[in-house]
Amino acid sequence: MFAARLIEALGADAVKTAPEDLAVYAFDAYSQALLPSVVVLPSSTRDVAAAVKIANDCGEPIVARGAGTGLCGGAVPAKGGMVLSFARMNRILELDTRNRRARVQPGLVNLDLSRASQPSGLFYAPDPSSQKVCTIGGNCATNAGGPHCLSYGTTVNHVLGLELVDDAGEVFHTSIDDAGYDLTGALVGSEGTLAIICAADVRLMKLPEEVRVWVAAFRDVECASQTVSAIIAAGVVPTALEIMDEIIVKVVEASYQAGYPLDAGAVLLVEYAGFANDMNEYEAAIEKIASENGAISWRAARSQAERDALWAGRKGAAGATGRLAPNYYIQDVCVPRSKLPAALAAVGASARAHELTVGNVFHAGDGNLHPLLMYDKRDCKQVGAVIDAGNEILQACVDLGGTISGEHGIGYEKRDTLSLVFSTEDLAAMARVREVFDPKRVLNPEKIFPAGVSCGEVR
Amino acid sequence: MMIEQRPAKVGPAGAAELGAFLKDASERGDVLEIQGGNTLASMGQPVQAAHTVLSTQKLRRVLAYEFENLTVSVEAGLTLRALRALLAERNQFVPLDAPRAQHATVGGTLAAGWLGPRRHLLGRSRDYVIGSRVALADGTLVAAGGMVVKNVTGYDMSKLYIGSFGTLGVLVSANFKTLPLPAQARLFTARLPEHSWLRTLTHVGELEVPPTAALWVHGFSKSIAGDDGTDGRVMILLEGSAALIERGTRELRAALGRGGVPETAIHNEGARDLFERALDGYVAPTGQRSITYRIFGTPDNIESMVREVYGLAREHALAPEAIADILNGDIAFRLSAKDARAFAERIEAFDDALHASYARAQIIAGQSPVRPSLNLWGELPPAIEKMRALKVLFDPARILNPGRFIGGI
Repeated sequence: MFAARLIEALGADAVKTAPEDLAVYAFDAYSQALLPSVVVLPSSTRDVAAAVKIANDCGEPIVARGAGTGLCGGAVPAKGGMVLSFARMNRILELDTRNRRARVQPGLVNLDLSRASQPSGLFYAPDPSSQKVCTIGGNCATNAGGPHCLSYGTTVNHVLGLELVDDAGEVFHTSIDDAGYDLTGALVGSEGTLAIICAADVRLMKLPEEVRVWVAAFRDVECASQTVSAIIAAGVVPTALEIMDEIIVKVVEASYQAGYPLDAGAVLLVEYAGFANDMNEYEAAIEKIASENGAISWRAARSQAERDALWAGRKGAAGATGRLAPNYYIQDVCVPRSKLPAALAAVGASARAHELTVGNVFHAGDGNLHPLLMYDKRDCKQVGAVIDAGNEILQACVDLGGTISGEHGIGYEKRDTLSLVFSTEDLAAMARVREVFDPKRVLNPEKIFPAGVSCGEVR
Repeated sequence: MMIEQRPAKVGPAGAAELGAFLKDASERGDVLEIQGGNTLASMGQPVQAAHTVLSTQKLRRVLAYEFENLTVSVEAGLTLRALRALLAERNQFVPLDAPRAQHATVGGTLAAGWLGPRRHLLGRSRDYVIGSRVALADGTLVAAGGMVVKNVTGYDMSKLYIGSFGTLGVLVSANFKTLPLPAQARLFTARLPEHSWLRTLTHVGELEVPPTAALWVHGFSKSIAGDDGTDGRVMILLEGSAALIERGTRELRAALGRGGVPETAIHNEGARDLFERALDGYVAPTGQRSITYRIFGTPDNIESMVREVYGLAREHALAPEAIADILNGDIAFRLSAKDARAFAERIEAFDDALHASYARAQIIAGQSPVRPSLNLWGELPPAIEKMRALKVLFDPARILNPGRFIGGI
């Protein structure tokens, strides 16, 4: 009945019900998989509104999905129902280079926007590692970050307005330039639980005049992270400050031949993008700090090709760990930057205690850690160890004044740990927002909030 | 004769005291007018029938300054000037850029969602808030975000409180990420002959080294240093390393020359102080015979906006003054008449005409008695019903600044 009505409204081509089709939409980059009852591929905002109205009539939950690169199960249809895939809404609707803004459909691939803007000397700054496939809509839903957040901020700092469909299938618009509450700011990062993003107005930035990339090698990851803390404390904010430990560097080099030194315990990738006038001064300042903190080598990338290779290696790091173990679990935590060495020590201690191999590759400049715990999912004991170690790492980072997600989101995975950071009252305030936008909990149910948090606590 | 009863004023000195006060007030249903430095009090309707003025001015502690992390947590009543001084000790800053920094508070500036001239390059105040603590209408203290610079843990509730004019909760404290203070600042001022200013604006917008702020100021002679303002002048702020400023200076001088500007004055000492003083113009006292509006467009249409507004002012026999933010594409303009009565007669028709062209025009300063009949916020945003629903859930008894914000929120 549900599928039949969707087919009647949107055409058979836009509605998938075959088991082999549904199976594709059962999971994202998280380990949990749950089948939807139907998948809809809208071509317009009107299609989305029509589909949501039908889902409402039929009492079916609705999960919006971009490219499915999310790591926390945010796109997993936890209670079945309808998955709305934005694969066909992938166009740039307007490119206003003079005012440096673009209007895009949610299914547009992140990197495609920068590619389209480049001839006009512009780019779209948020650059998650998955930017070759992840979509702007998904980026907005998770307030996605990336290595260049250090200087440019996360997705929310680049979204100017949204076109959305609400829980009842009505279209509405928000803009940061409108008077009234900043709904745009609240909706970005709400992981599809408040409304469905059908278009986004985003800010474009002027391409930097010059970009330089340097690689410093260190004896161990503690020295590298101490260097990062010292760089930030000195008030020097490069465009990116990324660390990879020895384990990660080895697999990256095996996979990409990116140009990282293999004889180091950790490498620090530094990028500064800005004006040519400032480059030498910056380089001298950063190199000095690195040297004072035990850098054993310092090298500048000499060409665009070398820079691209280093970045390709960095962005492909998680995938490259396939050489080490059948599976990896990537944790996402964020701590104050002066606490990086302590957080890394806690990660190492936890991995050792559970006899797990851990690789660290992370956005050090933001204090955003991504420990990769290697395991084999066929071994129940290892799976249990990974879960325990992951939770210990969360707790350790919260104890250091940090938080349980820097950029991946809460999704399905971390909803029961939200209370490590927030009180019942804090969560009840969030639940009020949910109550306004989605009182029936039909939009991406079972995400973000622990099972206990409901409107009941609001009243 | 009726004597209007002035509301009592209370100023809790801590979060717990504020929470307890709100709890009592909500139980009694006492309407509260929430007040920081009272510098943006002319934005929005006055709170109707306020029982008590709730001042945040005693909440002025620095809760944590982790300068090595480029983060700071301060209470809402701290003034912008005090925050600036604190951060300057460690060569850091947060570009809040609101007027009257010696009185304006962190809480008030955030509650008003103030938009300053450096936002085109540095972002808005909301982009610097990484966490907050708010007292809800029933006195419950709730936290959002934290002290880390990247955080996607649950909804970013701070975004809702910022720019909500105190209608969802009372901001107790805010956590900011800070920026390293650029090594140098240089302010350029130049008189602009009438025939040259439009060309000049265009050239400034195209500079390779972008100024952090560029204002065209016409009038506002008492609030802005320099000449009497009759011709109008540009004020351009460059910030960066010494080398960058030298390069920016060369580019800017060439651009101003091409625009037909004969002379430029350079201020190296106190450049940021002069810039801060210029911001005061946005809310410069206006008495009963003037009102200041703000309209928002885009950088590429700023010159047509100025022309149109000045044309409208002349049609209505009102004298215009303006602060045009060249790089963000917004204009604040003050309209005056010689006496309060003439002003009152003309401003209503002007208000209608302005909103016909600029539906989102807002009033940001001015105490004319005709104010209540003017369109203070501009057109309702398309999502107003969602906003009203939020207000109902966050402040069911309507005790927090009721009626002050758009749509009677």
